[in-house]
Amino acid sequence: MNSNSRRATLALALLAAAVLLLVTVAGTALHDAAMVTDFSRKNLPPSLTWLFGTDWMGRDMLARTLAGLSLSIRIGLLTAAVSAVLALVLGVAAAALGGWVDSVLSWVIDLFLGIPHILLMMLLSLAFGKGFVGVVAAVSLSHWPSLARLLRSEVLQLKNAPYIRVAEHLGVSRLAIARRHFLPHLLPQFLTALVLQFPHAILHEASITFLGFGLSSEQPAIGVILSESMSYLTTGRWWLALFPGLALVGVVVLFARLGDRVRALLDPASVHA
Amino acid sequence: MRRFLPLLLLFALLTACGAPDAASTPAQTGARDSVVIAMGPTSEPEAGFDPAFGWGSGEHVHEPLIQSTLTVTNTDLTIGYDLATSMEVSDDGLTWTVSIRDDVVFTDGEPLTAEDVAFTYNTVKATSSVNDFTMLDRAEAVDSTTVLFHLNTPFSIWPYTMAVVGIVPEHAYDSATYGQNPIGSGRYILKQWDKGQQVILEANPDYYGEAPKLKQVTILFLEEDAAYLAVQAGQVDLAYTSATYADGAPAGYSLLSCESVDNRGINLPVEGNPVTSDLAVRRAINIGIDREEMIQNVLNGYGTPAYSVCDKLPWYNSAAQVEYDPEGAVALLEEAGWLPGEDGVRVKDGVRAELNILYATGDSVRQALAADLSNQLAELGISCTIEGVGWDTAYDRALSEPLVWGWGAHTPMELYNLYHTQPDTGSALYSPYANETVDAYMDAALQCSDLEESYTLWQKAQWDGTTGVTQDGDCPWVWLVNVNHLYWVRDGLQVADQKIHPHGHGWSIVNNVDQWSWG
Repeated sequence: MNSNSRRATLALALLAAAVLLLVTVAGTALHDAAMVTDFSRKNLPPSLTWLFGTDWMGRDMLARTLAGLSLSIRIGLLTAAVSAVLALVLGVAAAALGGWVDSVLSWVIDLFLGIPHILLMMLLSLAFGKGFVGVVAAVSLSHWPSLARLLRSEVLQLKNAPYIRVAEHLGVSRLAIARRHFLPHLLPQFLTALVLQFPHAILHEASITFLGFGLSSEQPAIGVILSESMSYLTTGRWWLALFPGLALVGVVVLFARLGDRVRALLDPASVHA
Repeated sequence: MRRFLPLLLLFALLTACGAPDAASTPAQTGARDSVVIAMGPTSEPEAGFDPAFGWGSGEHVHEPLIQSTLTVTNTDLTIGYDLATSMEVSDDGLTWTVSIRDDVVFTDGEPLTAEDVAFTYNTVKATSSVNDFTMLDRAEAVDSTTVLFHLNTPFSIWPYTMAVVGIVPEHAYDSATYGQNPIGSGRYILKQWDKGQQVILEANPDYYGEAPKLKQVTILFLEEDAAYLAVQAGQVDLAYTSATYADGAPAGYSLLSCESVDNRGINLPVEGNPVTSDLAVRRAINIGIDREEMIQNVLNGYGTPAYSVCDKLPWYNSAAQVEYDPEGAVALLEEAGWLPGEDGVRVKDGVRAELNILYATGDSVRQALAADLSNQLAELGISCTIEGVGWDTAYDRALSEPLVWGWGAHTPMELYNLYHTQPDTGSALYSPYANETVDAYMDAALQCSDLEESYTLWQKAQWDGTTGVTQDGDCPWVWLVNVNHLYWVRDGLQVADQKIHPHGHGWSIVNNVDQWSWG
């Protein structure tokens, strides 16, 4: 990879990040506007005034969509961060400590990976009382196992590297080895996985909300918008589902691209693999 | 990107699951003595057609069709006779004597006797999980046409209970199988039941009353959008619908709008909420909301203003009706010390006039009513938020916050359920409220030996000139609208006059399906 294409990659990554930031900020600012109901303007198809149209309570669908995406992105950030940190701690602990700790953690990882994902999230969300807390708990507690497994095998490999063994024989404590040697090595993996968790987290947040196990129905969440729009499709109100759906796909694709770029920058070798 | 493809596909799949499957519904139109009707999936009786498990007499009351009842409710909701030929109550109100016809046979050929009636009531008392039969001690057959009901407490509205309990045959009743293969003496016989899809009813050739004009009634259980598509495809003769669809009449169909007492209203807890516990606030809300505007905004005009839980029924007290008076509402609030703060929201003694209005999540009408109410109250200086809740938490939360409810039944007992205090808590069941005078009127109404006279007492429980539950009384509930029940009807189908529909947009429409005709 020459420096030009590195720069282009960086530019693309920054652009994607900027768009996402813009959506997040705009959506947050529009949150109150998205909650406004005005029955004098209900069921309007898209026009210059109402780019995404309005729904059966006269809510501005553009504001709702942006507010919903922004909510999704913020929940995505929070849950991706929580689950990535969880994965890092548990993955490194399993590999570095070994013995029964490793057995227990590996068993837990297998258990989590064995339950169908959507089902697991629905159960977790119900257990945490649905709503915002339920969604955040469900998504963060269900996304860490695969990354944890990856990090565990990385560390297992590292443990046998000569320089680690030397450090061990020199009497460096396990904690110090983990901090000085393991963590810097795992950082690229960790950051890439963190970014790639976003689209998963966002889609899953939307999915369980769509199914009624997530955010409350007065919230401007993408899942709520899409599940509401289902009842109006047969009456010809296509705009209620189309634009929010496209916007969701757009955000997910942007995040996926951003993740790919970050990986290319942090771990150039993988690009050629 | 490939990694997300399955997720996106899953999402598309979930979305597609909501799509209607109209193609699989059987088309059986054309014959002129049959009718195909589409109802909502929740109208399918889960436990079958057994009165002991709520058929006809559950949360949503209707005539059981397959079975006969002792009494019926007339179009004006007074009491008429089906199997009964006379009824009288003892002076202490504890014993009802009902004589029944002697010419009725079940569809298996056995005659229907007083023993079957007694058996039915003793069975529903023992097993009914959906209806309250605690007032009944036991039923007893004196001879083949006379049955005695021994009650634990006087219950003047017993005839309304008798109007919804279908009589089952003692010789052919097994609670495990009866719901699937009901034998009755009603106007129709259950011919076929494909669970999750349809029910086919056929006219009972031995029916003792006027022979049904329609020989076959097919009922399909479809989601609202699927029902609309079935109408567009011409597959059904009558289908339920809602205001959302009402402006797009498919060719060959017209919209039937039935008046209902299927009301929506909010409870205003008189205790446990710093805002609604102030009588002035409750009264201001009652006169400060424009019900007509709500009907236009939310129901597209298909509704009537509601002023009580029982509008237009014989026990309704018209004193409950109020005029829309926003200035009067503001005056009430100011007089009580609720003065506008800097942001326009009223404040009294440091308490901001803020309400969180709850609604059942997934119910778009209730959500829109909550939203419209919230907009209207903002103009009075009461700031509102709305929140969707599931029924698992709604009942508890309604004890301190307003919730959008739906009620409306063909029995005055509903007034009792909403406003009478409970012996253990000293407060009403669904929303904190207690008024001794109101309690006393309702107790007296239940003990009354004359039904007509009891209507007056039920009316006095609402407003007796000095106290009650109306605007000039304690106003613990504010009623918003009665939702008209809407149906698409194929041109040529004459739907017989409907009695005012109760809560539940289901079997009520077919109460008199035997009198419908094609013309």
